[in-house]
Amino acid sequence: MQLDLKKGSRPRILAIMTLVIMAVFVARLFYLQILQHDYYVAQANAEQLKRLVIPAKRGEIYAMDDGTPVKLVLNETVYTVFADPTEVDQPRQIADMIERIAGGNVRSDLSGLLAKKDTRYQILATKVTRRQAEMMKRQNLKGIGFQQESQRVYPEGQLAAQTLGFVNADGQGKYGIEQALNQQLTGKDGLLQSVTDVSNVPLTIGNNNIDKPAKNGENVVLTLDRNIQSYTEKSLTNGLQAIKNRLKSSTMPDGSVMVMDPQTGKILAMANMPTYSPADYNKVQNAAAFNNATISAPYEPGSDVKTLTMATGVDKGVVGPNDTYNNTDFIKVEDRTITNATKGQTGNITFQHALNYSLNTGFVTVAERLGDGNNITLDARNTMYQYFHDRLGLGGLTGIELAGESPGTVIPPTDPDGGAVRYSNMAFGQGLDVTMIQVCSAFSAVINGGTYHIPSVVAGAMSDDGSVFIPAAPKASRANMVSASTSATMVDMIQKARAAFYAGQDKRGYYIGGKTGTSQTIENGQYVDNQTIGTYLGFGGSSAGDPKYVIMVQVSGKGMNLAGNTDAMPIFTDISNWLLDYMKLQPKG
Amino acid sequence: MSYQRTTQFKTQRQGNWNRNQNTVAFASNIKLGPVTHTVLVALMITVLGLIYLTQATRATGYDYEAQKIDDKIADLTTQKTDLEVENARLTALESVQNSSVAKNMTKPAQTDYVSE
Repeated sequence: MQLDLKKGSRPRILAIMTLVIMAVFVARLFYLQILQHDYYVAQANAEQLKRLVIPAKRGEIYAMDDGTPVKLVLNETVYTVFADPTEVDQPRQIADMIERIAGGNVRSDLSGLLAKKDTRYQILATKVTRRQAEMMKRQNLKGIGFQQESQRVYPEGQLAAQTLGFVNADGQGKYGIEQALNQQLTGKDGLLQSVTDVSNVPLTIGNNNIDKPAKNGENVVLTLDRNIQSYTEKSLTNGLQAIKNRLKSSTMPDGSVMVMDPQTGKILAMANMPTYSPADYNKVQNAAAFNNATISAPYEPGSDVKTLTMATGVDKGVVGPNDTYNNTDFIKVEDRTITNATKGQTGNITFQHALNYSLNTGFVTVAERLGDGNNITLDARNTMYQYFHDRLGLGGLTGIELAGESPGTVIPPTDPDGGAVRYSNMAFGQGLDVTMIQVCSAFSAVINGGTYHIPSVVAGAMSDDGSVFIPAAPKASRANMVSASTSATMVDMIQKARAAFYAGQDKRGYYIGGKTGTSQTIENGQYVDNQTIGTYLGFGGSSAGDPKYVIMVQVSGKGMNLAGNTDAMPIFTDISNWLLDYMKLQPKG
Repeated sequence: MSYQRTTQFKTQRQGNWNRNQNTVAFASNIKLGPVTHTVLVALMITVLGLIYLTQATRATGYDYEAQKIDDKIADLTTQKTDLEVENARLTALESVQNSSVAKNMTKPAQTDYVSE
């Protein structure tokens, strides 16, 4: 085919016009697509390409219920209802509807907020549930919107508040497990980058789409048993109320209880009073309520430490339960005279007798026998430090998975303050600052055969869908911190110490042991007479060789003289007797 | 305007004619000029463009379907979460203790143990 376009003919004109128009188009497109390429791509991306963060779900927290994980902290979707007053055309109906549906979560003076026509964002109600939000949406009222957010829910209320901690408004875990495992619980947000339409619907067109799914936070399972935790908290509250009533005090004393499995170091319960509701953490007036005193409040634990002193002496072979010493109700250490709180048990008495009556002189004598027999020498102090600090973990962080743990202080013999007087005091539980978790862990090692278990509150994790429990790897432990025979001796001594005075309070047929502690407190650098802390530390089980639980109770109060036997022990006894049933232990004795 | 073209359409098959083989000769009487050609090409381009747009729109339509399904999944997930929260509240210790079943329970008068 041969085209013959005559000059001035219509086809020729059409061809020329087409060519010209095409040339204009090509030139324009060259300018837009080649020369201005980057500029227009950037503009298009800014308008069409949206980067949407896919929020990761914060991990849930479980507790045990007789060996089965149950949810203790969950996430709930709630909504903030807001209005654009410039768009609102039925303010009265909106105010009525929100007050009717949202109830107590509504801001005051809704009509006033909706009348602020110079603003475009007014929050009308917060923490509205999904069901309430859906009811509001169905009303189709113009000018209101819903902002979705996630909040923590605590179906058990205040249970284990200090162990759990809370999540603040910025989504950060504070205190407890929430802070300690914040990164693990938070997960990692995902990203959706895509071309979207005007309604923000992601479209598959475009070359720069990214779809990176969120990685949800890990679900953590605690070792706490919610039934033991609940009973422990109730028992502590009742015990503190009884103290308040007895002292006719206007204020409630403070108290803490810890229940531990001595065979594993797992914490079964951690209770503290005063407490708070993690859901209403922002309403707490006294910040002390956030603190988990069992791990963060070092104190001089008093006579319950005598069990550790005795274990040191027995393990080093310098004393035995039936060995004797001459008790004169006082003993001199350098320029200081140390006296017994209980007087009259004088003469040649056994160390078992000294433990039963909690005689300070007996345990200062143990410290002396770790030296040359008459003095708490450097060797004696080194031995005590080695057992107390290096072997049994007093005065150091235990490594429990909770925020705010305090190491406390055990002054070493090399310190100028670590002399004989200091160590004589340490022999009966004064002159050292330790936390309950340290004492509990050390005591567990003494009575479980000699193995120190690093205490733990994390039992494992739950799969993302909450169906499979993945147990945590066992924590490291240190065997032979005291010998098995020393441990057996101590179990027997501690059982006799309780049985000497309080056997009738325990359920018959079980093997229960315990030691009281009443410690002086320091105010403005001086020991005071009107304020003592009561402690009780003990164990329980069916038989001597198989203690199932260790319970430590501590009670204190401003200006209150509280004692281990009268104030802390009743709480121990109550929890112990309940635990025997709960753990389905059979009486053997 | 004039151009030349063959008046007969001669196929390859026709060139290789053999006995018992039918041959058909096409000879179109319609003459297409250059304007018609241009219009036809433009129409073909338009049709191709429309086909592309139809396909692209259909793909985008799937995006909306996918978004609807995603929204439904999100909604059902939220409902599931709400039900889990409700379940946790109903099985919380306080709820159980305050239940009528728990209130009607009595303490056992005697406990017997079977030997292990």
